[in-house]
Amino acid sequence: MERTRLSYRRGAAKLRATALRRVASLVAISLLGAACAGCATGDAARPGEGIAPRGVAPPEAEPAVGPAPLRRLSNDEYRNALRDLFPAVDVALPPLPADIAVAGFENAAEAQEPSDVRIARYEAIANLYAEAATIDAAAVTALVGCADWSTPEHATSCAAQFVGVTGGRVFRRPLTDAERDRFMQRFQEWRSAVDFEGAVRLTLSAMLQSPQFLYRVEPPPRSQPAGSVVPVDAYAMASRLSFFLWESVPDDALLQAALRDELRTDDQVRDQVDRMLRDARARRALWSFHRQWLALDRVLGDEHAVRTPEVDAAWGPTSQASATEESQRFVQNVLAQGGTFHDLMVSRRAWVNGEMARIYGLAAPKDPSAWTEVVLPGAERAGLVTRAAFLAGFSHRGATSPPVRGNGIELRLLCQLPVSPPPGADLSQPKPAPDQGPQTNRMLFEARTKPAACQACHAALNGFGFGLENYDAAGHYRSSEDGLPIDASGSIQGTDVDGPFVGGIELSSALGRSEVVHRCAVERWVRYALGRAPVVAELPTVASLTDAFTKSDGDVRALLRGIATSPTFRMRRVGEE
Amino acid sequence: MTLRRRQLLQALGLGAITATIGRDPAARADEPASPPRIVFYVQPHGHIPNAWNMDIPGGPTDRFAERRLADLGQDDLSPTLRPFYPFRDRLLAIEGLSHTSVLADIAEVMRSGGDLNNHQIGVAGALTANRALQRAGTYCTGGARSLDQELAVRLVAPGRFDSRVYGFDYVPNSVASPFSYLGPGKATPMVSDPKVAFADLLGYTASPTAPKNRDELLRSLRPSVLDLAGREYEILARQLGAEGREKLAQHRGLVRELESSLGAIGRSPKCDATFDDSGHAVRQFMRLVRLAFACDLTRIVTIAAPVPECSELGYPAEATFHAYAHASIAGGTSCGAMYSPLAERAMTDLDAWHAGHVAYLLEQLDAVSEGSGTLLDHTVVVWITELATPTHQHHDVCTLLAGGCHGFFDTGRYVRYPRTIPNPLPGAPLTGPPHNRLYVSLMQAMGQTDTSFGMTDAVAANGAPISLRGALTELHHGA
Repeated sequence: MERTRLSYRRGAAKLRATALRRVASLVAISLLGAACAGCATGDAARPGEGIAPRGVAPPEAEPAVGPAPLRRLSNDEYRNALRDLFPAVDVALPPLPADIAVAGFENAAEAQEPSDVRIARYEAIANLYAEAATIDAAAVTALVGCADWSTPEHATSCAAQFVGVTGGRVFRRPLTDAERDRFMQRFQEWRSAVDFEGAVRLTLSAMLQSPQFLYRVEPPPRSQPAGSVVPVDAYAMASRLSFFLWESVPDDALLQAALRDELRTDDQVRDQVDRMLRDARARRALWSFHRQWLALDRVLGDEHAVRTPEVDAAWGPTSQASATEESQRFVQNVLAQGGTFHDLMVSRRAWVNGEMARIYGLAAPKDPSAWTEVVLPGAERAGLVTRAAFLAGFSHRGATSPPVRGNGIELRLLCQLPVSPPPGADLSQPKPAPDQGPQTNRMLFEARTKPAACQACHAALNGFGFGLENYDAAGHYRSSEDGLPIDASGSIQGTDVDGPFVGGIELSSALGRSEVVHRCAVERWVRYALGRAPVVAELPTVASLTDAFTKSDGDVRALLRGIATSPTFRMRRVGEE
Repeated sequence: MTLRRRQLLQALGLGAITATIGRDPAARADEPASPPRIVFYVQPHGHIPNAWNMDIPGGPTDRFAERRLADLGQDDLSPTLRPFYPFRDRLLAIEGLSHTSVLADIAEVMRSGGDLNNHQIGVAGALTANRALQRAGTYCTGGARSLDQELAVRLVAPGRFDSRVYGFDYVPNSVASPFSYLGPGKATPMVSDPKVAFADLLGYTASPTAPKNRDELLRSLRPSVLDLAGREYEILARQLGAEGREKLAQHRGLVRELESSLGAIGRSPKCDATFDDSGHAVRQFMRLVRLAFACDLTRIVTIAAPVPECSELGYPAEATFHAYAHASIAGGTSCGAMYSPLAERAMTDLDAWHAGHVAYLLEQLDAVSEGSGTLLDHTVVVWITELATPTHQHHDVCTLLAGGCHGFFDTGRYVRYPRTIPNPLPGAPLTGPPHNRLYVSLMQAMGQTDTSFGMTDAVAANGAPISLRGALTELHHGA
């Protein structure tokens, strides 16, 4: 297998070189982005149109707009939408088939294949919601907006109001006349077969199973020629904003803005983004994005349900849930209070309950179930990378794995896919030989990954992971292991902030100012916003957003405004639905 | 899925002969009374050949060899196969296949780049027998429709689920990695809670009488609600471009299928629609397979088997089977001397644990009589693994077929294929036939006429062509 290993090493070296080239190309892309600043308004002149060589896309010819595939609501979006549409309804739902994550993100249009299980769940859930929302006369009155359906005339007028108003909220736009007629006709049939309340229930169930609810259908403008780039319809823009910033349906204010065509100018979009980010629903998206990007829910997996007694005998489901919730509160509170991405990397603010105080070695609170704000010890912890959700989530149950943590940083924070171990690589936990005496985990991994073939990747992986050895597999801080002092010196490779560091705080600080990390964050936010990876035409947009994001120390609000006002978010190509 | 099936049949010009699917000539005009069925049990981490393989006294190693099982005693079977002793007349144990498509894919990724994790590629290729889908910035995944879903598309009919996928997330690296795929990168949804799976199956069964009260009346109108929703998909799809239209058309097809299936199933005496939540979830699923087959609610089931906690099998809680796997075969890994007898024992015990579950499935299917035999006689249970060996090799695969599928397979045998085919990976050993060819045999057992599945051609490291086409006719009856 020697030849295999050699080819493998060459592959690894090639990948590393690609990563470095990617860093270098950032600069070039940034410059392109600056030249293209006018594109952001969508009003750029088109000097190159018609004179570009065949087969070469003229970059300034038209707004940088990528494809807009039809998107289904992700499971989180679907559940949030039901919750926001029917706040009074509280029913236990059967599990939906998991969304297939692409690069960590659960809203990837490319992976959204309908299946019989999913359709059966939609039907079951629609029926549960429709039943609960019409459980008694008061509920029906609240839903349809009128109280008297005792005569056929009243019933018809109430039904029309219900179909129009509730239908408009469920479909996120006014119904067309034809839609109104179709739903009214079936309503009347059901009213004859059962009764008014029953017809409301069945009609609502049908609406909740319709494509206008489950998919984000954006009607194409009929008057425009195929291939031209046009602003999306105002209601589609309302939905684009609400699913991006709230992971849910538009509220009435947004639908009203769409009705008045007030989602058109940069200022109008910015005002809506600012309003929406002030709303509590924005906390969902801020957390959801970071959870998926940095795998902050990885610690909830079954493989993290226990820790060995030597690591943490008290570790259990409460620890898993608390670790995730601690990161959730940190992300949401820091960003909701005007914090930046840089703060997420270096801030010592934390919100802890009793379990997290135990894990972080803080004084036990009076009420262990309450979450209170604290400042973490300055020498021990800073931002997300030094918190339990990340540290324990990227560990094994009995020991840390520096390569696994390094892998987490490369894949998640740097957007670089680490090369997989070669066939037959020993992935078991290294242990000291019987006659070897005490060894730190670092010493064992250094010995295991010493061969040159391993170092092609492990130089970087271990460089990150060794720097986090002050944190054990449960995320406790430690300064010694098995009687030996912890050596937390590491090195950063494959970025624009390469160099040695000591400990998680220095690592976080360096990554927090890295342009590679900022570009990764921007690329992931764009992916999250669009439900797909950015395409080549959008790289200038990504580059200019990265430039601004890096210069602002990671101003997430400004980034979200930038994405929401970018051409690719606001426009689409006719005929590509 | 009815829609895709229709499209496919139309594309093949086969629309008129859909009723001939099934191997019983007498049933051409209608559905066969005892249709062929298939269950895939996909066990992570491969087998320990020392515990699975059997001797074939005097059998050649340079050509196909076999040993009849009928006259053997229980102890004559290998440790892993011993739990199947009561079913030895309906077993076909196959030694020596190769995940050639996976090996070819690894060789290609070495050249062209991408996720080179041979475990991940193995998962992607286990049921697809095709190249994995490489995606920027993340691990690779299944790159084609898997065999179970291909059969599902071919064999579905109103009133019946095209397939059921049950089981447990498998996380060989840091992401859950499915075995069953509807298409490239699109995993088939899997149900992990047996109670939910049972409720799904019952969702198709009809109320025996006319609605007696308002609640029943509302429930009886479910197809009418689906009809309204289904029409919206049809109307909206017309406004969209090709990609969106296709997505909505697929959704509409499934809504229509659910609509036409609701209430289409009555309960026959052999259809025991009760749920027993005792025992391991795997065994609960096995009983649901029996229910689904007895009631003809589906003909295809895939079970993604769990990886148990080590403590469930009496090993230390801090150990993991993945770690044991790497150290379980002497000389089996390329990264240092790390064989441990404890690891080999652990992986052998894991094999036995799975064997117990598969044998339980055979018991369940054999307990329901159908025609002149039992459900098991009309079914083929396929026990496969995504790695050949726990040491992450892809040659020398151990495979078990059970049930025979209407006598299509010549069962009651342990068979061995010679390793004479050059390997796509440089410096790697010769291999037996590609597992693609087993899948061709399985398609033919299920009434199909295909002569290839998945990857069709590969190139060995020495430049020689490797064909992945054609059935493994040595396994067939009367071959």
